Amino acid sequence: MREERIYTISELNRKARQILEGEIGSVWLKGEVSNLTRAMSGHLYFTLKDEGSQISAVRFKGRSAFLPSPTIEDGMEILAYGRLTIYEPRGRYQFVVSIIQPAGVGALQLAFERLKEKLGREGLFDKAHKKPLPAFPQRIGVVTSPTGAAIRDIWSVLERRWPLAEVYLFASSVQGETAAEEIVMAIGRAEAFNQRETPLDLLIVGRGGGSLEDLASFNEERVARAIFDCEVPIVSAVGHEIDFTIADFVADLRAPTPSAAAELVTPDHFEVLTSLVAFLAKSQRNMRALLERRAQGLQTHLKGYIFRIPGRRVEMLAQGLDLRLAELLRLTGEAWKKRQRDATRLEDLLRLADPSLPLRRGYSLTFTPGKPTPLRNVTSLSPGERIETRLLNGRILSQVEEVIES
Amino acid sequence: MKIDETLRKLEEITKRLEEEDLPLEEALHLFEEGITLAAKIKTELDQAKLKIQQVIEKAKDVFSLEDFDLQ
Repeated sequence: MREERIYTISELNRKARQILEGEIGSVWLKGEVSNLTRAMSGHLYFTLKDEGSQISAVRFKGRSAFLPSPTIEDGMEILAYGRLTIYEPRGRYQFVVSIIQPAGVGALQLAFERLKEKLGREGLFDKAHKKPLPAFPQRIGVVTSPTGAAIRDIWSVLERRWPLAEVYLFASSVQGETAAEEIVMAIGRAEAFNQRETPLDLLIVGRGGGSLEDLASFNEERVARAIFDCEVPIVSAVGHEIDFTIADFVADLRAPTPSAAAELVTPDHFEVLTSLVAFLAKSQRNMRALLERRAQGLQTHLKGYIFRIPGRRVEMLAQGLDLRLAELLRLTGEAWKKRQRDATRLEDLLRLADPSLPLRRGYSLTFTPGKPTPLRNVTSLSPGERIETRLLNGRILSQVEEVIES
Repeated sequence: MKIDETLRKLEEITKRLEEEDLPLEEALHLFEEGITLAAKIKTELDQAKLKIQQVIEKAKDVFSLEDFDLQ
């Protein structure tokens, strides 16, 4: 009779555990949470299931200290990372979870990381490929939704800063299933327009802020490749909750929002006017110095000649010189008057930068009483605080009831 | 001339006016030219009004522009 090995239960469970841990080990699982129980100890016990099968799972309390995870509930789809094991005292087959992520976000995040790594390896993010942007862009293309906030934000910044710009809108939806394809098409349209109709100085591609899912099209490979392949320099302008989109890495310049993009790519026209004033002042100084030097030189020159040239010629020369000097004086006089006129007009223009001007147009400024600079950010206020609103002809003191961030 | 070219030209003129041995007539000529350019830029900035146009591709490579109304 052949001797059969008789196991103890402990031995069998241990062996089964070792095989499970050795053969399968740690894995990611996707499933729905059910039968969730929070034990007094803080451990979470639940079942993970899909249409056909289920497995017991446990998440021990100690784990969450360094790996924060979302609060889970029955019915929630999650991605869980953990190891498969057997709890020997009870012979219980279970999944010990260490990381939990909501399934949707986790999958997007994973795809994001993979694509980022792939495109990075291909060199799509390399500095060498970044095209320089012009300092004074005149024709600015924008790829965004015609009904979204982005185009309005860009408009209001450009109107204030650089009204010289001509903006060309290439309409595309920026969220939803067709968005990625539409963005790619719109970039293609902008390129064709740039080649065949009107050269564009740069292209802003973006949308206002949104959730990770809303921004998903800016994390798609074909959008990244379209941005990379585009001949016109591209500024990405995706309002983010997360830090970056793939589009940001591949764009020639990344701006955190559409308004910021408009601000980054244009000069302030008041600064340009200031530099014109500086030019006029400097050139005038140089001209005066030049005229003074020349006048001295002419005198010396003339004295030298007088000893060598017969009287008649000296007279002719002197007369000629007089004529030329008169001409020069006339010219400088005209130039001077013209300069004065221009300077006056420039001053008029600079006066437009007066901070009370917006008040005349019906805007108001809000202050925290006693602080010199107007408020820019609602989050610096809390209900109950007093604020002061300045209009053109007076002030309003009021108390904050509610702060709504938009 | 595009505004950046005009500004670059102005910059060149300013530099040239610093040259000590620049002939007087040339200096005057440059000075005049500079003032004209500066006035031109200023007028352009004065009159500038931001324009947004939507580009519509009617057929392949056939474009039409429509004024974009922000309302």
